[in-house]
Amino acid sequence: MLVGNRWFTPYLLSTPALVMISAILAFPVVYAIWGSLFDTQFLGGPQEYVGLKHYQDLFADPSFRWAISRTAIFVTGGLIIGIGLSLVFAFALNRATRRLRFLRGLTIVPYLVSGVAAAVMFRLLFNGEFGMVNRMLGIFGIEGPTWFSNPDLAMLAAIITQIWTDLPLAVLLLLGGLQTINPSLLDAAVVDGASGWKRARYISIPLITPQLVIATVWFSYATLTSLGVVLALTGGGPMNATRTLPVALYETAFKELQQNEALAIVIVILAINALLTLFYASLNRKFDLDAT
Amino acid sequence: MSAQPVTLDPGSRLTAPRRRQGLARLRHLGKQLLILIPLGVLVVWTVLPVLVTISISFKSPPAVYAQPQLIPSDPTLQAYRDIIGNDGFQASFLNSLIIGIGTAFLTLLLSVPAAYAFARYRFRGRAFLLLFALLPRLIPGLGLIVPLYRIAVAIGAMDNRLMLMIVFTGTLLPLSVWLLVGFFQQIPRELEEAANVDGTTMFARIRYVVLPLSVPALITIGVLAFRQAWQEFDLVLALTRSSAARTLPYELFLMQDSVGFANNPGLAAFAVLTLLPFIFVYLRLERYVVGGITSGAIK
Repeated sequence: MLVGNRWFTPYLLSTPALVMISAILAFPVVYAIWGSLFDTQFLGGPQEYVGLKHYQDLFADPSFRWAISRTAIFVTGGLIIGIGLSLVFAFALNRATRRLRFLRGLTIVPYLVSGVAAAVMFRLLFNGEFGMVNRMLGIFGIEGPTWFSNPDLAMLAAIITQIWTDLPLAVLLLLGGLQTINPSLLDAAVVDGASGWKRARYISIPLITPQLVIATVWFSYATLTSLGVVLALTGGGPMNATRTLPVALYETAFKELQQNEALAIVIVILAINALLTLFYASLNRKFDLDAT
Repeated sequence: MSAQPVTLDPGSRLTAPRRRQGLARLRHLGKQLLILIPLGVLVVWTVLPVLVTISISFKSPPAVYAQPQLIPSDPTLQAYRDIIGNDGFQASFLNSLIIGIGTAFLTLLLSVPAAYAFARYRFRGRAFLLLFALLPRLIPGLGLIVPLYRIAVAIGAMDNRLMLMIVFTGTLLPLSVWLLVGFFQQIPRELEEAANVDGTTMFARIRYVVLPLSVPALITIGVLAFRQAWQEFDLVLALTRSSAARTLPYELFLMQDSVGFANNPGLAAFAVLTLLPFIFVYLRLERYVVGGITSGAIK
């Protein structure tokens, strides 16, 4: 028996952290749900109960529906590019010879760069006049576009910048998964004459499904809730092409000062995020059943 | 290259087995390329944005347009002088440092006892622990900006460093408690029971038995917390209106908003300077950083 084993000891030890978590994470969410049901004429004015009016207004508002569709593109594009690149990089790092192992350490560089700093870097990189991306395209005889005045290209640049900051986690995660695969499984496939592609497709990738699901959750969470990168890179433009839900939330809350409506946007974002996470988690379970 | 026997008949070098060997070598080369090309892309993808930024930070504003090559032809420190002398940068750098260290400290201070309770005691409330792994994924900082802004206004905690530390700590606690519980559970209970025979208090056991064995986990969490505070944008945007508590990312955002493309080297130098503490952290503590990234994945 350990001394200090009074019945209240564990409560005493865990209460500060639990109070903090409740105050900073749980209470604001309850507050947001509650506040989204009210309306005020001016900031700090009396609250008037309006029920689901803000939600009805939001979904009737074309600019909000536009923000949802832009978010869908941002998240889907981010998932495709993010999962694709992290798979390629993880496979290559997994097969790298000892002399190239240091590259794994290099992978984490973007993790050390804040979203805003990354946006500043990519604005310089994608600049139409002196940007390195256009100079490299010039080598292949392609005349580089002005990225940030073309709606589609601005979206692409935003996706690439966002994925750049989020990739290290996914690469290390998938690499960790690949390294736990029993080599004898792959050797057996070699004996059976399976090509490298087939080994990846039918052995490695199914075995790292749990890591792939976590990476998917990660990318979709990171893109869905990205404010700093988008705001600093494009400001939501051009022509609202990159006005995703977080940008709409920011503008509604702090530019238009419609804070009760902004709280409704918060709840919509939290709900989409929770639904996506549950959906991916259910995929994981389904694949698990298939494997057994 | 091994020396080939000189032969008069060049065709004999292309006998069937040798041709197959050549083919195998070619296939081997192809396989090598299949690994080397992605690795090359990885290096360019990772390093180029940083290199380009460093390069521009050493140029003069006109040279950014006139001499777009990577190596500046006449490098200048002017951009760094401007930024380091800038009041906004100085204030926000100091704020970032104070809030970063404060957040790391506060996170450890609160998560160690909580994690100890969860790891060593069975009590009502233990069920919360399962939720901790999910919370950071379900409640992103973005979702907190409007509610916390209104709360901060109501309690008069806008532009307050302590408020930012508390908020950051709150968002970090679930993950850090979760990580520490896993770590504490691996420390053999017998070690503590042995210390107990000598009649030590619980605090002495934590201080002299548990914590010394947990140093790697504590460093990982400290680095994780510091990084989170150092890089946070959304919550700083919501909770600061002046330079009193504003940290680097928001200051950089405001500066970019006001200068546009007029002072590219300055912005580049600012972005490079925000990496400063990490160059130190990365060189000294790389494995903890990597540990922090991968553990961040379970959150």
